[in-house]
Amino acid sequence: MTIALSISDVHVTLGHNHVLKGVSLDVRPGEFVTLLGASGSGKSTLLNVVAGLQAVDSGQLTFDGVDVGGRPPQKRNVGVVFQSYALFPHMTVGENVAFPLLAARRPAKERRAVAAEMLALVRLPGMADRVPATLSGGQRQRVALARALAAHPGILLLDEPMAALDKQLREQMQVELTRIQRKVGITTVSVTHDQTEALTMSDRVAIMRDGALVQVDSPEDLYRHPVDAYVAGFLGEANLLPTSGGRILDDPLGEDADGTAVLRPEDLELVPADEACPAWHVEGTIQLLSFQGTRFRLELLTDAGRKVVCSLPTSVDASSLVVGTRARVVCRDPERVHVIAAPPARPVPVAV
Amino acid sequence: MSTTVGRSLGRYRAPIVVVAMLSSLLLIVPFLVLVATSWTSGSFILFPPEGFSLDWYAEVLADPEWTESFRLSLWTAALSTAIAAVLGTLAAIGLTRVRHTTARRWIRTLFIVPIALPPIAYAVGLYGVTVDLPFLRGTLATLVVGHALIALPYVFVIVSGGIARIDPALRPAASTLGARWPLILWKIELPAILPYLLSGALFAFVVVFDEVVLAVFLMPPGEQTLPLQMLNASQEAFSPELTAASTLVSGLALLVLAIVPVGRVLRRRAGRAASPRPAEGQAAPEGVTP
Repeated sequence: MTIALSISDVHVTLGHNHVLKGVSLDVRPGEFVTLLGASGSGKSTLLNVVAGLQAVDSGQLTFDGVDVGGRPPQKRNVGVVFQSYALFPHMTVGENVAFPLLAARRPAKERRAVAAEMLALVRLPGMADRVPATLSGGQRQRVALARALAAHPGILLLDEPMAALDKQLREQMQVELTRIQRKVGITTVSVTHDQTEALTMSDRVAIMRDGALVQVDSPEDLYRHPVDAYVAGFLGEANLLPTSGGRILDDPLGEDADGTAVLRPEDLELVPADEACPAWHVEGTIQLLSFQGTRFRLELLTDAGRKVVCSLPTSVDASSLVVGTRARVVCRDPERVHVIAAPPARPVPVAV
Repeated sequence: MSTTVGRSLGRYRAPIVVVAMLSSLLLIVPFLVLVATSWTSGSFILFPPEGFSLDWYAEVLADPEWTESFRLSLWTAALSTAIAAVLGTLAAIGLTRVRHTTARRWIRTLFIVPIALPPIAYAVGLYGVTVDLPFLRGTLATLVVGHALIALPYVFVIVSGGIARIDPALRPAASTLGARWPLILWKIELPAILPYLLSGALFAFVVVFDEVVLAVFLMPPGEQTLPLQMLNASQEAFSPELTAASTLVSGLALLVLAIVPVGRVLRRRAGRAASPRPAEGQAAPEGVTP
């Protein structure tokens, strides 16, 4: 297996903050990897390390097997799309896109040709003479992308590429960005705190927490098989319940538990009152039932004070679900139940 | 903005507007009196003036003492403004490279100090330099240096303010695109700073052009800048020559200050098609032009 980008055991300290604590990550050629984490998790710092904008305390960084740790950003051959897009306001769109060629002292004719070619790639043909101030947010992002790709970099880095766009445009640009990335076939590392964005665009997602990678996997594996409660709760909604010997164990302290079951709300269904208890079931008092268009959202509170959220199809008979009454829910497909070896945290006491 | 403020004033609106109008009169009336006294056909500065003539203007324009001092002021002020513009801009850009917050705060304060210190401090200090370095005696070098020192904070403050409004990601962006620092400075940072640089330099020029304390100490004998010439004229004979010269200079200053907004409007009009920077370059100069 070839590796386009290899980060190994990178440590970064900013002031008294240990921002990156031994991060290692390998990215395959043409792969789209997203660094996903809350703010302050060190994901942007890691991106800056790859771009050469942030010095490392220790650790190794190789592009295609070549050590680039000592190279300045000018010599790394990376294209970066910044969160603010960082378009040069006094230059036209064409001059912006052709700037890497200007820096490389290429002739004006070639610069114009490349600018036109790149703008066609991002579907902004004929915009070369406009200035950035007259463009919309989505157009600016495309220009920033065209500029980042103009010098044919080995690696494309995206720093919160959608943060400055509104929601509708964001979804549109996610599709567009993925199209361009696939077409160019460029190895890409993106940074975001938006889980939907990470799941839709990436081949693999790396979850970061407190300066370390928690789990790196395909979006589906992350969702189905989270390594710990943090990842389970970070991607989508999850019910985390203590288990013991293949059953859910709803005791207040969770002392006898040997693991945590991750149950996704959409995998749970109601158990009729006359049915015997199946394996992965949990019982509780109905706290809330709300209609959400395509699904019902049902919230139970177990006897030990744990909240369980279920997403039920609208075909369910809602009349029997009265707030304050008892209900049992189950996950019938054992494949859908993921068990983490560590027992969960104790439930937060809920005032009844 | 003004309309919302106006509305929020409620019933106090009328008195406040009256006070504001009176205050603005206070700013302009002395100048009008000055202009009027220079029209006199008598030989004293009096208000209301006796009769009307432009004789005193002819007198000033024909007198080589006035025209020479005007020329001298013009080029020494231009020279010290140029020095201040270069140093102030470099200082402002350099300060962004200082990572340490406390150090940055101290350096910033240091560069603004000349506004707070009385000019006499620089005058006395530089006078000492002329005494110790005889080859400077009789030259205008110390005066130009002194004026550049006084002008520097104005450029520094305005350019620093401008830099703060520029996207901090521009420099890293340019460097990942392969640009080294000279290219980044010339093609990215200076063009973005230019409007602030120009308005800072203009402000500095106006301040230095009027400066008289340093001139008193540092002018070589036999030469006079315009403010010094005016000071002397006011002490010798209280002649309408003085007010005529003041009017001419003030007129010129108003003309220069008027060019800036007119140029801005033209640039904006042209900019509909071509020019970048819609709001950035303009707000600060408006705020600072005296």
